[in-house]
Amino acid sequence: MSRLLPAGFEVLEPFAARWAGETAMERAHFRAAYPEAERDAFYTACAPLLKLGLARLDEKPLAEQDEVEQRLMRLLLTFAHVSLAVELQGPDEHKHARLRVSMRIVRATADC
Amino acid sequence: MNTHNPAFQPVPQEDLAWLGTDPIPAKPYYDPAYFELERKAVFMRTWLQIAHVCELPEPGSFIRREVEFANASVLIVRGKDGVIRAFHNVCTHRGTQLVSAETGRQAAFSCPYHMWTFSAEGALLSAPDFGQFNLDKKDCSLPSIALDVCAGMIFISFAEKPEPLRESLGALAERLEALPVARATTFHEYVYEIDANWKLTYDNFQENYHLRFIHPRSAGAGTGPENPFGYPVRYAFHGQHRTQIIWSNRGAPPPPAPALLAYGKAAEAAAANGVLVSQDAKDYFALFPNFFLLGSPLQHFSHVVMPISATRSRGVIRLYWIGDDGSATERFAREYLMATARDIHAEDRAVIEAGQRGLSSGALKHIHFQTQEVLCRHLFRSIDAKVEAYKVEIGLAAEALV
Repeated sequence: MSRLLPAGFEVLEPFAARWAGETAMERAHFRAAYPEAERDAFYTACAPLLKLGLARLDEKPLAEQDEVEQRLMRLLLTFAHVSLAVELQGPDEHKHARLRVSMRIVRATADC
Repeated sequence: MNTHNPAFQPVPQEDLAWLGTDPIPAKPYYDPAYFELERKAVFMRTWLQIAHVCELPEPGSFIRREVEFANASVLIVRGKDGVIRAFHNVCTHRGTQLVSAETGRQAAFSCPYHMWTFSAEGALLSAPDFGQFNLDKKDCSLPSIALDVCAGMIFISFAEKPEPLRESLGALAERLEALPVARATTFHEYVYEIDANWKLTYDNFQENYHLRFIHPRSAGAGTGPENPFGYPVRYAFHGQHRTQIIWSNRGAPPPPAPALLAYGKAAEAAAANGVLVSQDAKDYFALFPNFFLLGSPLQHFSHVVMPISATRSRGVIRLYWIGDDGSATERFAREYLMATARDIHAEDRAVIEAGQRGLSSGALKHIHFQTQEVLCRHLFRSIDAKVEAYKVEIGLAAEALV
């Protein structure tokens, strides 16, 4: 079976298909779009791999990254949003999600 | 060495006495008649920040901006000569809007209706069967709008002969030029629309009195036991513009690991670009009438509150960066810092709208600003002075006609 992510990040494979948002708006949306238990599972799996994942991707210029590396990048970018839900908003995240809907991200450097 | 840090003291009322303590009339925050005066006295005459030079990298690069309060579609183009100009997005034949794309690059702009074609410098190049008109092409250029640039930021004015932008900005122009925005090449942007008057919206972002109630989780080091409301260290007034120096709690608990990583990478990039150390890193600029810029090189954001009607506005927030994402870690840092800023801004919108509903009910004759809401008071006084002067001006004009 072909991998969706680079070797060493197998623990994130179950999240690769659904959580690697194509745009910043999509990544921000995923933060509150999926069940809280799934979000927490993604957070728990990804948090210890964040530095390792970025270090792995930093080995190669962004423009030269292949499909699985690009997917890992997008997954880590989604983690940026998810970490705010877990680490910052905590029990207020559900209420906060409604407030964020009106803040439309229309441009992000990762999407250019 | 003396390491004693004096306890935080809010700016005292006596330092700000010149701005008064009177209640502020509520009507200017919802009344369509006042908005109409404001529109003519302020927004149709003042420099307004609307874009950045990095959006127009090459000759022929263009952007279109809709400016509802002016009922105008604005076309901003970099000409073959490298000069950036602004035009009304209207064909001079019969007024059809020339450009429907939001952005792009082209050497010329053709009207879809009868194919009048204009250069990137606004001149009419060709028009089918032009001999049928009793016209000279040089009289058919696109109608221009005043445009000027400071610190890479593009400002326009609908006034025919506005005061030069740099004179309008005064000493702040030089300070803005030293900030990262002046060298920015890219940005994040998020926007919101809000059912609220532009001043009510803008005021929310120039007072900290609400921080502990509206941002209990996201305020971070913005408040602390020593300064529970997170009041600024200092205010400064520069004619109709104003600045504040942001206070931060040095004893705040360390932020979570992703935040440390993001701020660390942003600091590294700022140092590499020579913008980490700045006299204005803690300054929050409020340029008259509707523009903010945070001096911090790590989360260097601007915020424009554009009026749409007396009770509707649009906010545009940008985080400016120098250079493309240079690595995966930098890409992560930028997205994280954008997301944290968005989290905070998102928390304000609903309570501002609640304020508008209350004001629009007409139940209040006045609202009140405390000492540490002085920047809101200064904005109102600056706006109202323009409105009152305009009323005199049109009164005089009416008398002159008699």
